[in-house]
Amino acid sequence: MSAESGAARRPTTARWRLWAFVPLVLLVGAVALAGGTGAPVTELVRSNPPPADEFAIRRVTFEPGEIRIRVTNPQQADLTIATVTVDDAVVPYELDGPGTLGRLRSATIVVPFDWVQDDPITVGVTSSSGIQTTEAIPAAVETPGVSGGSILGYGLIGLLVGVVPVALGLLWLPTLRQTAPEWLAAFMALTAGLLSFLAVEALSEALTLQAALPSAVGGAGVVLLGFALSYLTLTLLSHRLGRGSAGSAGPLRGLALATLVAIGIGLHNFGEGLAIGSSFALGELALGTFFIVGFMLHNVTEGLGIAAPAAEDGEAVRFSRLAVLALVAGAPAILGAWLGGFFTSDILAVVFFAAAAGAAAEVVLEVVRFVARKAPGGLTSPHVIGGFLAGLAVMYATGLLV
Amino acid sequence: MAGVPLIRFAAGAEGGVERFAVHDQAALGHASMIGDQVPAPGAPGALDSLLLPTPPLPHEPGRVREYRLQAIDREIEVAQGVHFAAWTYNGTVPGPVIRATEDDLLRVRFVNGGAHPHTIHFHGIHPANMDGVFEVVDSGDEFTYEFPARPYGMHLYHCHTTPLKKHIHKGLYGAFIIDPPEPRKPAKELVMVMNGFDTDGDGENNFYSVNGKAFYYAKYPIEVRRSETVRIYLANLTEFDLINSFHLHGEFFRYYPTGSTDFFEYTDTVMLTQGQRGIIEIDFHHTGKFMFHAHQSEFTELGWMGFFDVVD
Repeated sequence: MSAESGAARRPTTARWRLWAFVPLVLLVGAVALAGGTGAPVTELVRSNPPPADEFAIRRVTFEPGEIRIRVTNPQQADLTIATVTVDDAVVPYELDGPGTLGRLRSATIVVPFDWVQDDPITVGVTSSSGIQTTEAIPAAVETPGVSGGSILGYGLIGLLVGVVPVALGLLWLPTLRQTAPEWLAAFMALTAGLLSFLAVEALSEALTLQAALPSAVGGAGVVLLGFALSYLTLTLLSHRLGRGSAGSAGPLRGLALATLVAIGIGLHNFGEGLAIGSSFALGELALGTFFIVGFMLHNVTEGLGIAAPAAEDGEAVRFSRLAVLALVAGAPAILGAWLGGFFTSDILAVVFFAAAAGAAAEVVLEVVRFVARKAPGGLTSPHVIGGFLAGLAVMYATGLLV
Repeated sequence: MAGVPLIRFAAGAEGGVERFAVHDQAALGHASMIGDQVPAPGAPGALDSLLLPTPPLPHEPGRVREYRLQAIDREIEVAQGVHFAAWTYNGTVPGPVIRATEDDLLRVRFVNGGAHPHTIHFHGIHPANMDGVFEVVDSGDEFTYEFPARPYGMHLYHCHTTPLKKHIHKGLYGAFIIDPPEPRKPAKELVMVMNGFDTDGDGENNFYSVNGKAFYYAKYPIEVRRSETVRIYLANLTEFDLINSFHLHGEFFRYYPTGSTDFFEYTDTVMLTQGQRGIIEIDFHHTGKFMFHAHQSEFTELGWMGFFDVVD
């Protein structure tokens, strides 16, 4: 009897599962109908406005006797490159890529041009419909190419602003281990503060950068995607790490928490490296000693942020573990600097800044959860509140240096 | 800095001289480009109907000169690959050259085939009701302008419907020549209407030209003979920019403001405001390729340049 009813139910279930495809098939039909009728439905209302026919100028680079302009078609309709101007003069050019760009297709315009070092310069690309898109470059400087020197240079910049300060900050670990519990809680709160600062900073950067992207590829959605991706990945990771160390899903602590903080900071430093590399390559940034020193001071607090949860363990941490933490948190700056220095990176930068924000937010949550349960006096103790605010203040103050 | 890296443009070139020539061309861009290297729209001879006026007729008071002008909305190529939604008289920008001898009876039938109301406003002396200001011709309508041609000189005509800036810069203008009763001495006659095109509608010209196509006479130099006087009927119909100018290389010319016959300036550069015009007469001393262009460098590099190829 029961076997019979089970057998009778199964085909019904299968049928209803098949039914799931019906809306999809109908959708394909409806799309074909709407798209294939020739006169678009919108014509009933009014004719469409003409396309903007503006190019997205993605990257302008300068080589001796040559300007290279990377353009993308950000719109639905095709876009044709007709003439190219430099400082309001029509110039001869060659194309590396198609002259007529489909949606989101790109081409590089190569202009032989005797540009003047350090002078502002404006390049323009005019479509076949006569619409001119211009990009003003504040100062023309040669874009470094891929060479031994520039690879080493960007690598060193990444090392100096990423790895070195984090490693130095980690050296506070022995001192922190001797600290009274309420003061350790204060330093943990400071970690939460500085991570909150980084999260907000990264999110703001991601939103600013996405606004400059062609609208078709950008959008705040990309930011949310990057944010959610890293936030949820780290949630999953912290869950695993927490189960591994304590056997139960308690709050993450000790070295495991320090690792998570390092990952969050590492993602942020990747974005930071990307931004430094690309701004420097494109001549938007004067990367002097002062700037690098500023970044070092700014980032040394990140090392402190990793050291604080590690100190809570109370037992000695192997030097190699510390080195790994420093690399996880700092080395992404090197990768970022290379990527930003040598490649177009605008979409990547948005995704990574968003990911950095998501990671930092998740780690803040972990740290706060830890402090709430373990710190003497919990979240409302003056040490914790003061530590959090101090974290924000320190990041702000050292941020003024860069 | 300029010299060294550009040598790669000379790939395949052998010997220092050739290498230098290739380098020059790449580095200097349009300023040193002539002939086939120049990106310019239009086929050879495409602008001849605008450049070469019909010959003048002898003085014969009361003779009727009939023209038919039709307003046509049309997309034209104003620079290599750049299309502009123009309003034209008879399909070209500038419109056709209208020519009469003083005291001819000019009869211009205007048919408005465009989508907007238009008129023709002639410069010169005529009755108020032939002025093309109040007699607005609606789309599909027509109007015949009729008046005696005077005074002799170099004039122009354009649409006078408001908004003026829009109706003029879209392309509704042309040269209007009235020959003196006493004929000017024989010459190779050319008409040059200086203009600009605001292709993206921001109130600034994106391209400049004479007779409507940027860099056209750099691609196709105008061939003239040294033994022959070159007479240019020059008019400025540039919108947005207050002035335009004409500068000739390697030679001086006589400039007759508004086409006077008894007054000229001997110079190599003249400046004309919007609507100003005159006649240039050149007697070339040398053969060779001589550049002419606006002396506003910006206009030059945005299309208003060309060459005379002076031959024996």
